[in-house]
Amino acid sequence: MTLLLSCVVAVLFGSGAYLLLKRDLLRVAVGTILLSNAANLWIMSAGLSRGGAPIYPIPHGGQPVSDPLVQALTLTAIVITFGTSGVLLSVVYRVYLGHGSADLQAISEAEVREEAELEEEERRG
Amino acid sequence: MLVLPLGITWFLAAILALLDGRRSWVGLLGVAGLAAAFAVTVWLTTVVLQVGRLEMTAGGWPAGIGITLRLDALGALFAVTSLVVLLAALGCEVLSGVRARAFPALVLFLATGLNGLFLTGDAFNFYVFFEVSMIASFVLTGYGERSREMRATMIFVMVNLLGSVLFLAGTVALYHVTGTLDMVGISEQIGSVRPSTVILIASMILVAFAVKLGLFPFHFWLPAVYRDTRPVVAAILSGAVANIGGYGLLRFGGELLPSALEVGATALLVLGAASIVYGELLAISRYPTSEVLAYSSIGQVGYILIALAVGGELGYGAAILYAVANSLNKTLLFLATGLLGGTVGAAFAVGAFSVAGVPPSVGFFGKVAVFQAGIADGSAAIVCLVSVGAALSFVYMFQIYQRNFWRGRAPRSSSPLSARLLILGLAGLVVALGIWPEPLLAAGRQAATGLAGQPR
Repeated sequence: MTLLLSCVVAVLFGSGAYLLLKRDLLRVAVGTILLSNAANLWIMSAGLSRGGAPIYPIPHGGQPVSDPLVQALTLTAIVITFGTSGVLLSVVYRVYLGHGSADLQAISEAEVREEAELEEEERRG
Repeated sequence: MLVLPLGITWFLAAILALLDGRRSWVGLLGVAGLAAAFAVTVWLTTVVLQVGRLEMTAGGWPAGIGITLRLDALGALFAVTSLVVLLAALGCEVLSGVRARAFPALVLFLATGLNGLFLTGDAFNFYVFFEVSMIASFVLTGYGERSREMRATMIFVMVNLLGSVLFLAGTVALYHVTGTLDMVGISEQIGSVRPSTVILIASMILVAFAVKLGLFPFHFWLPAVYRDTRPVVAAILSGAVANIGGYGLLRFGGELLPSALEVGATALLVLGAASIVYGELLAISRYPTSEVLAYSSIGQVGYILIALAVGGELGYGAAILYAVANSLNKTLLFLATGLLGGTVGAAFAVGAFSVAGVPPSVGFFGKVAVFQAGIADGSAAIVCLVSVGAALSFVYMFQIYQRNFWRGRAPRSSSPLSARLLILGLAGLVVALGIWPEPLLAAGRQAATGLAGQPR
């Protein structure tokens, strides 16, 4: 199980990192979200243990229960990932509206142009 | 009691989010809430400095099951500093006119997140509050909503999300190897973990906080973001949000993973030195004021890292003092670049002197502390670096001053008098802490003793 989970985390992280290096802004955003989800799975894999369901009251008889804390942590992390993904996607949309393009090349060209204007303006006072 | 600094800002932020922040009474309500949280935090700090540490466990659970809130001198010092920064920034913006309805609410949410992470005693809770403050600052970065600010937000969000992912992975790995998330528990258990594992976890956490601080190889996002956001947001990011990095390095490096800090001291020293040289040289070569200040921030955090690498009571104390001084300086400078009119130049000059480390200013004591740490460490390199760095910062600070205030041309318009008085008040605080630094020095010493006293 640990091996399977680590393979899935590796694939998620790898594809996230690959998408992050793309020129299209939406792919970069998707890559970032994949990386966050790789981290969520990683939390699950940190606490994999065999045992009964950890529901109170815990049945007697020396039966081990699985670690409930990691699941709580993962839930929290998933909610946070959901929030940040929402912010990230809305930012991508606003950048797209502002530049009429989601291509990072076009966006950085616009940035260089505006930067030059800014510098010129400061020199003139 | 420990819930108060969090609770006040949290509830008020939720209420303010429903109101139109562009009305001045809404903004003033936000300022009042921050001021109340500030007063409570100052009071808690005086208590903590006497009794050493305050603790409470949420929900009446036994410690170890419930989430613990814990305040010690280190957290208190950072919480007070961040609240001063946020108060000054929000006050300044409210007095000169807020442009977006969510601005006051976002600043209060940010204050909640920051207070939460300075007050928590639980590593995962730290992550949660870290994200609360990051989401608030993501949205704040877009304040102004022109395409410039949106580009800055995009860079800021992507890079810092990667930092958060690394930090989350590091925290969970800590839980995996120690079996606890309580910070005291982790620092007790970490001695029995294999050193190679500890180094791996420590480097993940170091990268996460270095991204936040903008240390040399992880600084690439910082100049673009500080240049393109509005000055008031740049002041908040460099004065309050960057404190997460400084505090995190001290807490996780100094308290939880001291063995890894000792092993990696040389690496930290090299990174810090590279940050100083790179940041200060590029600051001299740039023209736009905000960009010079951004590169200056990269240089200034190098000193914190160097002091951390020296370690021990003296090193940690220097890192704490420098972090506090740096966040006050940067807030003052960024706010001053956002205002126009008479007396703004005076406030800027105070900030510039403080960055260069000229007495009497709080920056002087930060520099002196790093200097002392270098001498105690017997390292000529650190002493040289601090002196050369101070000289370089003097050069670029007065390049800006000369360009902006010595041109002999009156500005076309000027900001409201009240905002200019506020910024003068902040400049007064920087000078006052330089003239009467004993409370700050004593608090810093106590925080450093608390860290250095941890079992190694």
